[in-house]
Order: sequence, then structure tokens, then C-alpha cells
Amino acid sequence: MPERKLKMGIVGCGNIFNLAHKSALKNLETIKVMAFMDIKEKKAKEAAKEFNAKYFTNLDEFLELDLDVVEILTPTYTHAEIAIKALKAGKHVIVEKPISLRSEEAEKMIKVAEKEGLWLLVGHTRRFDKRWMQIKEIIKKRNILPMQIRKAEVQRLPFPETAWYWKPHKGGGVAIDLGVHVTDFLRWFFESEPIRVLGIGKAIRKEARVNNTYDHFVMMIQFEGGKTGIAEVSWAYSYPARYGVFYHHLDILGKNGRIRYTPMDTPVVGVVKSHFEMPRFSPMLSTFPDAFERELRHFINVILGKEEPVITAKDALIALQIAEKAIESAHKEEPVDLKGVIV
Amino acid sequence: MKINIGIISYAHPHALRYGSTFASNPKAKLYAISGDGANSDVAKREAQRLKAKFYKNYEELLRDKKIDAVYVAIETYRHKEVALRVIEEGKHLLLEKPIALTLEDANEIIKAAKKAGVKLMIPFNPRFTIPLRKAKNMIESGEIGGLEYVYAISEYVKPPIFLEGLDMTWFLDVRKSGGGGFMDTAPHGIDSLLWLTESDVKRVYADIGSKIYGFPVDDIGTAILEFKNGVTAILNAGWGNPRGYSYGLEIKYYILGKDGFLDIRTAYPDFTVYQDRAEKIYWERPDVEGIVKSFLESIIEDKEPPITGEDAKKNLEIVLAAYESSRTGKVVKL
Repeated sequence: MPERKLKMGIVGCGNIFNLAHKSALKNLETIKVMAFMDIKEKKAKEAAKEFNAKYFTNLDEFLELDLDVVEILTPTYTHAEIAIKALKAGKHVIVEKPISLRSEEAEKMIKVAEKEGLWLLVGHTRRFDKRWMQIKEIIKKRNILPMQIRKAEVQRLPFPETAWYWKPHKGGGVAIDLGVHVTDFLRWFFESEPIRVLGIGKAIRKEARVNNTYDHFVMMIQFEGGKTGIAEVSWAYSYPARYGVFYHHLDILGKNGRIRYTPMDTPVVGVVKSHFEMPRFSPMLSTFPDAFERELRHFINVILGKEEPVITAKDALIALQIAEKAIESAHKEEPVDLKGVIV
Repeated sequence: MKINIGIISYAHPHALRYGSTFASNPKAKLYAISGDGANSDVAKREAQRLKAKFYKNYEELLRDKKIDAVYVAIETYRHKEVALRVIEEGKHLLLEKPIALTLEDANEIIKAAKKAGVKLMIPFNPRFTIPLRKAKNMIESGEIGGLEYVYAISEYVKPPIFLEGLDMTWFLDVRKSGGGGFMDTAPHGIDSLLWLTESDVKRVYADIGSKIYGFPVDDIGTAILEFKNGVTAILNAGWGNPRGYSYGLEIKYYILGKDGFLDIRTAYPDFTVYQDRAEKIYWERPDVEGIVKSFLESIIEDKEPPITGEDAKKNLEIVLAAYESSRTGKVVKL
């Protein structure tokens, strides 16, 4: 008997859906996408057409459907409300990172998921990116103990100042939006817990200044065991917006070895068009497209009871808490202790 | 007229490069070398190779009236003692970094040099490299807009005890060196940041420790520096390079301005030799040549050297603030 396909619904048919999740969803044979929801009817309709699915502009109506899993790809500030509604409606939830805008919301989401006995899985795609997976594997195989890691994720954010990304109360700014990628990455690689953070933020571009948010943010995060993480996230680097690409740097200094990665080490297949489009193959991609597919495949297997999650909602919560505390540190102009403060 | 140069001690391995560079400079004559401190056998051998007189200790060298200027590469804890004697003898002084162990000692040296009217210069390398000079020009001409942020590895080297044929144990003795890898290399990066930003450091936060090799002193450190003009800089420095790292000396800068970004991947031109492992060889070191040239010019033309004792004292103040921040876990304000 063929395996039952999980019935899936998607909320949010914007950027991250079109750039990353769409093709991943198409390649998954263990799911059937039943419906799309977006407050913009045109977007929901377009997506539904491609998947031969239903579309909705009303969340409650959408949640009345018989769905196993809801994937949430909306702006950050809406994650908590939608996730909690979906969980209460009896659906497993997969949500884009950051788990939510504020950590109190994330804590609530986790509680609801626990109470309902449903999965709450957070799309920290870096954990599914071949580059970082292989480097992590090499560290283990070659017995390297990372002691200092610098991870930089920088780009020129290709969206106008009116976009939600730039709004502190909607996306949290670069310190949250990209920050959680790096804070999670550091915990993943160090395999230890953070004890103190110093954050320094800057508003370099006009888009950041008019929105009173940071577009360039550095954190020094000290972990147990004398380990130090240096996180650098930016939307202010001056790459042509049409490439919309990232610049990743990774430098791991450890006992018994050092590992460096720069985007210059790898070839590029770019694409330049009149409108914004991701490069087809580029080391400057924030995450390779197949990472999204690997992530979703894993999450579906978790829901099906076949795999244990490599990243839990609690990990995602901690990633957010570190970034939040870093912002607090930037405002206070002094380091903030994390021990006993974060879960 | 040639300036007669004396070198006091080969305790610091930089003496090897400075010896050769002074010896080949047309405006200088490497006149004598003294074998104080560690590596006196190396000092003696280099004196023979470079056809300079060899003195057992610096007092003998300083008695030589022919010597106009001295480069001192003795263990840091002896900087003050030796520097004050060099100055007393009326000789110009190129003093290895860090200038001294403490700010008080630095002050004494600076005051003495001023009083005696001799030139005092401290060698910091990155600002003499071609890519950084180019970057500075581009920043000054407004090509990348206002300076906002600098990330620098300046510099990472291999632990000095990996150097073959040299006794580098004093680097691991905090009483003699003042600190480990961060003390050894961060002054270079700090100098370059002061020079690039043309500003002063307002706040320092740092994490420095014995993290990689288990030495009794720190091996690597990271400092976040906030400058008065709003620039933020992250500086990585120390003995960060493993034995097999292809670069012996690593200097990298990423410089972000309002309208542009400079990516300085290495400060020196190199080629690669592949054998059991890959090794980068620098075919030009304009930094040491530049330091020697400007030191000689400051003497010949009687002008202020590009890096003064005051600059080196300011530098040391930042390094010491970084150590304090790392020790206390707090931001140190300057």
C-alpha cells in the first residue's frame, strides 16, 4: 500500500515562498499541497494555480480544511498568531525563521504545541546547507575543537524602505532577521551554551535610518568553555541590488585545526535579469535551494515519526533570545549576561 | 653620508628582517650587532653574514661612537632599560613593539627621547603595505563614502615557538612579553585602525585567551573597538595560524563605507609553493622597507617619524584596555 501523503497548506505566498519553498515543495513526494493562504488574493491564486490547489485570503477558513501540516512563510511579526491558531486547529506547524518576532511569543507557541501534542518546527535552513553540514562533519572526523568562530552573513537587502523587513516591529531588523541564523549556527557548531553577549548596531543606509532600525550588527558571544563567536550580519553592503546575494564568511579557529570558507573559493553561475532573481548557482546564495528541500524533507519525516528533529523549537527560541539580548546590549552599550537568562 | 646602525639583540625574530633590510639600504650601514638576551648565537651569526661588528652586550655597542641610530629587538621587559640608555648616548631609536610593558614606562621613554632630541619610532607594519595604502587613498578620496565598519585580521601568525632555530620561549612568559599572541600582533592592527579611521578609540570590548595551544599565555584574541567618529572595528589578532596554514603571516581587511566595500584579502603579494603542503611565499615586503626608509629619512631630514612614541603609547593603552576588558567581561572606556 502506498504511504499516505501528508496534506499540507501554505500560509504566505511572498518572497521566501517564491524564491525558496516553491520548488522544494514540488519535489517532495511525501506531501500533497492542498491549499494556499495569503491576504493578497493575487499571490494566493498564483501559487494555488501552480500546485492545482485551493486558495484562501481568510486564515480561519483556510484552517477549517483537513490539513496535517501548515507551513508559515509570512512576515515575522505574524508567525506567532498564525502558528498558535494552526496548532489549536490541530495542525503540525513548520514556520520560517525567526520563530517569532519576540521570544515571549515563541515561548507561548512552544507551550501550545506541547499542549496540543503537535510538532512546531522552525526553518533554520543553515542547518541543512551542504557547506555547513560538511564542515561540521569534517570538524568531527578530524577531531577539531572549534574555539573561535567568525560567521558573517552580509548582503544588500534588495527591498524598499517600506518593506516589512525594515520595520523593527515587523521583522526586527537585521539583528533579528539574519542574526538568528548566526546565533543558531554558533550554538550548533560550538555545542555549548552562550554566557554573555555584546552587540553593536549601526544604521548605515537611509532605509535603516528612517525606520529607526539597525542594518549592520555585530555580536561577540562568549560560550561556555572559553569559546567565542563573532557574528556579523548586514544589509548595508554595497552589492548591486539586482544580484540580491549574500556574502558568507566563515573562519573557525580550533584546537587541532582551522577551517576557512569564503565565497571567493567557489565558482558562480549567475543570472542577471530586469527583475530580482536569485542566482542559479552561487556560493553567494544565503542558502542553496536544495537546503530548503532537505529541510522540508526532514521536517516531514519528523512529523511522520521517522526522524528526530535536528533543530527544535527550543533551539530556535534560544537563537532569538541571544539576538534579542544582543540588541539590548547595543542599547545599553554594555555586555549582557545570558547565563540563567535564556532557556 | 650613511647612517650607522646598531642592532641590539635578536630576541625578537623581527631583527632578522630588519638586519637584512638595514644592510641593503643605500642610506644606511649596518655597523654593529649586540647579542643581548635570547638568540645571541643568531645575533653573532647574522653579524658575520651581514659584515657587522659583534658586541657581546649593548653597553659595549653603545660605547661605539660611530653608531648613529639603534634598532632594539630585545625582550619587551627590557625595553625601558635599554631604550633609556640608547637615548642617553644620544642615538636615535627604532624600538620594537610594544613600546613597553606599561604606560608609565612608555612615558619615561618618550620624555627621555624628547629631552635628548633623538628620533623615536616604533615599527607597525600594516600601514606600510601597498593594499592598505591604496585603501587609505580610496577612503580619503571618498570612493566608498564615509567609513562605517572595519573587520580586520591583523594579524595572525603561527606561534613563535614554531620558528625553527630560534629560542622564542620568552614569548610565553608574561613577565617578559606582557602577554601572548594578542600582545604580539594586535598592536599592528590597532595602529592600522587608528591610521585608517584618523580617530581615537572610545570603547573596547575584548575576548583574549589561551584557546588553541594551551600555552601559559593567551594565543588569540578579538577586540571590538568603537571610535569617536562612529566607526566600529573588529580586530582579530594572535597566533591563530596552525602549523600547516599556507600563510605565515595573515593580514586581511574588509572595509565598509556608506557607498562601497573594500575587500583586502592579503596585504602582501605572494606565490605558492606546493610540496607536502602548500606554502605562500611573499616576494615583496614593502612594510619593513618602508619602516626602515622612513626611520632613516626622519634622521637625515630631521623630521618627525611617521609613527611616534606617543602613537605607540596610545596603541599600548588600547591593547591594555582590551586585556582588561577580557579579564573583567566589561566594556572599557578610554
